[in-house]
Amino acid sequence: MAIRDDFEVVAGQVRAGIQRFALGLLVLAAFGAMLVGKADTVLVEHARVLALDLASPVLEAIARPVAVANRAIADLREFASLREENARLREENARLLAWQTAARRLENENEGLRGLANFREGPEASFITARIVGDSVSAYVRGALLNVGRKAGVAPGQAVVTGEGLAGRIAEVGENSARVLFVTDVNSRLPVLIERTRERAILAGDNSPQLRLTLLQSVAGVQRGDRIITSGHGGSFPVGIPVGEVVETSEGHVRVRPFADFSRLEFVRVVDYGVTGLVGAPAPPPPAPSAASGQRVKP
Amino acid sequence: MKADGALVTLDRWGRAALPGTVLLLFVLLTLAPLRAPYLRDALPLLPALAVFQFSLATPERLPGPLLLAMGILLDLLLGGPGAPIGVSALGFVLIRASVVANRPYLVGVPFLFQWFGFCLLAGGFVILVWAFTAVWTWTAIDPVPAIVQYVVVVVLYPLLAPLLARVRARDPLNVPEPSRGTARPGETTP
Repeated sequence: MAIRDDFEVVAGQVRAGIQRFALGLLVLAAFGAMLVGKADTVLVEHARVLALDLASPVLEAIARPVAVANRAIADLREFASLREENARLREENARLLAWQTAARRLENENEGLRGLANFREGPEASFITARIVGDSVSAYVRGALLNVGRKAGVAPGQAVVTGEGLAGRIAEVGENSARVLFVTDVNSRLPVLIERTRERAILAGDNSPQLRLTLLQSVAGVQRGDRIITSGHGGSFPVGIPVGEVVETSEGHVRVRPFADFSRLEFVRVVDYGVTGLVGAPAPPPPAPSAASGQRVKP
Repeated sequence: MKADGALVTLDRWGRAALPGTVLLLFVLLTLAPLRAPYLRDALPLLPALAVFQFSLATPERLPGPLLLAMGILLDLLLGGPGAPIGVSALGFVLIRASVVANRPYLVGVPFLFQWFGFCLLAGGFVILVWAFTAVWTWTAIDPVPAIVQYVVVVVLYPLLAPLLARVRARDPLNVPEPSRGTARPGETTP
């Protein structure tokens, strides 16, 4: 009897102690999680992928109502500017038709010249179409969640494109889900070419809607309106995917507006170029953020 | 009678699980690809709003370890490469502790006071996450998006808070702490 009473007293003391230090313990646990996350990036990577795989069915379920809501909002906005939009599109159509003629002529000419020069194409790219089921857009990250994963052939480092141009790269891959890191994210570094001058540069995101062009040999050569395309350096991206155009050049700062409209993405294509294994190699411009490349160097 | 008992049990379970479920929903909703301008900026802060509001109403149904798990889940889902895992958990736990410690100033007071309290705590939460993310990734993170996020969620609070506050309705346990009494069944006052 006495032993039981003693036990209950001790248990009560322990319980009171835990309650008194509950806040401290919880704070410690949170710091512990942060430290573990910093120390063991592979573990965190696995946890992230697991969380994504668990969350993606729920997100798929709510994707439809969210899409309806988005469409309603877009309808309301577009209704206001229908007339101007129509005029603009008609003008653009006329211009594009002219370009189409030019492109056909050039394509024929290019093909002929390649035949003459015995030119060898790079690996053939194939596409995986995916629906965006989640945004990971906050004040600190620019990205999205796709409903395709390893099962569909998605691998880290692959390019993600829209109809207009490059959107980003695959950062993490689960069984049935993947996370895209947009080119606008602060972790994004992309080897690019300036289309007109064929000059190489690195396009960096800083979480703002516009991108920063860095490591230019000569800033003076860049003009407003210059198109920026992927250079294919680093191996995982095909050459020549349009990324954006220069909108501002002022004392060493070159700002680029991406072609992809991140505010209305619904479907994207993942480009499987077949050589993603090269990204982990120590290429001069590190094209992948640390977390993504860390996963890929595994044998 | 038996059916009544089962219903009562179910009701109790439902009530006990509601805050946690709503919080989980808000955590998942932060990933919803909503294209509404401004509203989407506020999505990542909605879980913090839920934590604040439920800590006001029923802190016993939102225990600390649950908040820890939810915060870590939020960080795993939302965080970019290199972002700290667990900083939201820290924020949630601190919000709950501050609300519980300041219940006399926050419960049963005019709504404006609660709103002011939320402004303070949400501000602290935003600053905490911003500072930790900046230090952890060692980059200068533009604070403007975080400020926009904060302003939007503060403006949204009066719209969402009454909805979440309904969790208190018809709950006999929800009388202010001092008047609840500590008497056990069968105990009599001397």
